Amino acid sequence: MLIQVTRTGGFAGISRHHEVDTEGREDATEWESLAQEVLAATPDAPPSGVPDGFRYRITVGDRTVYCADPDLTGAQRTLVSRILKEGA
Amino acid sequence: MQPRTNEDGLHPVFCTIVPPHVLDKLSHSGDARLADPARRTLEADGLRRNRRRLTALAAAPATPTAGAVPVKPHRTLYDCENGTSLPGRQVRDEGQKPTSDASVNRAYAGLGATFELLLSAYGRSSIDGKGLPLIGSVHYGHEYNNAFFDGEQMVFGDGDGEIFLDFTYAIDVIAHELAHGLTQYTANLRYEGQSGALNESVSDVFGSLVKQYSLGQSAEQADWLIGAGLLAPRVSGDALRSMKAPGTAYDDDVLGKDPQPASMEEYVETEEDNGGVHINSGIPNRAFYLLATALGGNAWERAGQIWFDVLTGGELTATADFAEFARLTVAAAGDRFGERGEREAVLKAWSEVGVPTAE
Repeated sequence: MLIQVTRTGGFAGISRHHEVDTEGREDATEWESLAQEVLAATPDAPPSGVPDGFRYRITVGDRTVYCADPDLTGAQRTLVSRILKEGA
Repeated sequence: MQPRTNEDGLHPVFCTIVPPHVLDKLSHSGDARLADPARRTLEADGLRRNRRRLTALAAAPATPTAGAVPVKPHRTLYDCENGTSLPGRQVRDEGQKPTSDASVNRAYAGLGATFELLLSAYGRSSIDGKGLPLIGSVHYGHEYNNAFFDGEQMVFGDGDGEIFLDFTYAIDVIAHELAHGLTQYTANLRYEGQSGALNESVSDVFGSLVKQYSLGQSAEQADWLIGAGLLAPRVSGDALRSMKAPGTAYDDDVLGKDPQPASMEEYVETEEDNGGVHINSGIPNRAFYLLATALGGNAWERAGQIWFDVLTGGELTATADFAEFARLTVAAAGDRFGERGEREAVLKAWSEVGVPTAE
């Protein structure tokens, strides 16, 4: 399963894109359950967000959802920060 | 006008010469403590223009508000302690002594400097014109590379130390966030496409003006950078944006190159960043820089006044494009300064960045 996160906006307006392919990974189950938790609770349309706030586009397989700072759920925050930090 | 500060980072309004337009605004303040001396000063002023305006104001007296319009800020700072719950733990309220946390003290001072510019240069009490208390939270998140305005308060991250440093290092960044509040309470420019880029640009303009005002710099002396001092030492760049030369603020292996266009010919069409609000803001930013340096002197006085008049004047629509904003600045320059050189300078500035000003 391919999990992709694109972060746009922010004060600097600099975009970041990272992804993790869970196939063959030891922690694949952990990633996939986190991704499913996020998909279940995240809308398909981008929220309006706040001035200078980061916007996130999360794509898991063929589904894309959107969220924005500062209103992230715990699962959304964990997923985007882990992908942006650990992803390629 | 030279900035004057006391230990609060503030000064009394009437300690030196106050521009007539500020007196105008104060003279119909609900607070007699403000309105009476302002009115007396205006009445003593021999300029016909001011007398005419004063008469108009007197004919339509403002409804007295309950209590006074505050002439001092009410700042409250919170510490998120690296969490993401807002506002966090209260650490410094208005009038309290500095804390041992430099981020708190920088944010406190930055909010104070912004309040002071709005009041002393434009006669506006806080971002809503009614003395709205100012709230800031520092140490948001863990190594958080951003600052934002959430509709009610300013939020500052510490930066990761690799790319960005503490976002409270730059007074123009603090003022930029607060200016989003000013826009929200006035023209409420929609944060998308050209109106979003104008929203961003207005925040950069007033962010830079607060920095210039607090340093006592003229348009010629100012660096016209946004976020100078915010990039970590290893990053190749001077700042996050350049109003003087958009597109030249940084060029770095990790960060990439500053993507801002300097004129409409290079306008960037994108779906990211709400339609490039932090990218295309370079165009109106440069128009402001060109105007301010063409006029010379202190940028917050004439160039800043024209921008402030448009933002707060009630004619600017929430979905305005660059051309609408530009036309209104031309009109505002004429209304404010008559047939002197300001209006021509505004026309020239927009022409240089390729934004049309004809109807």
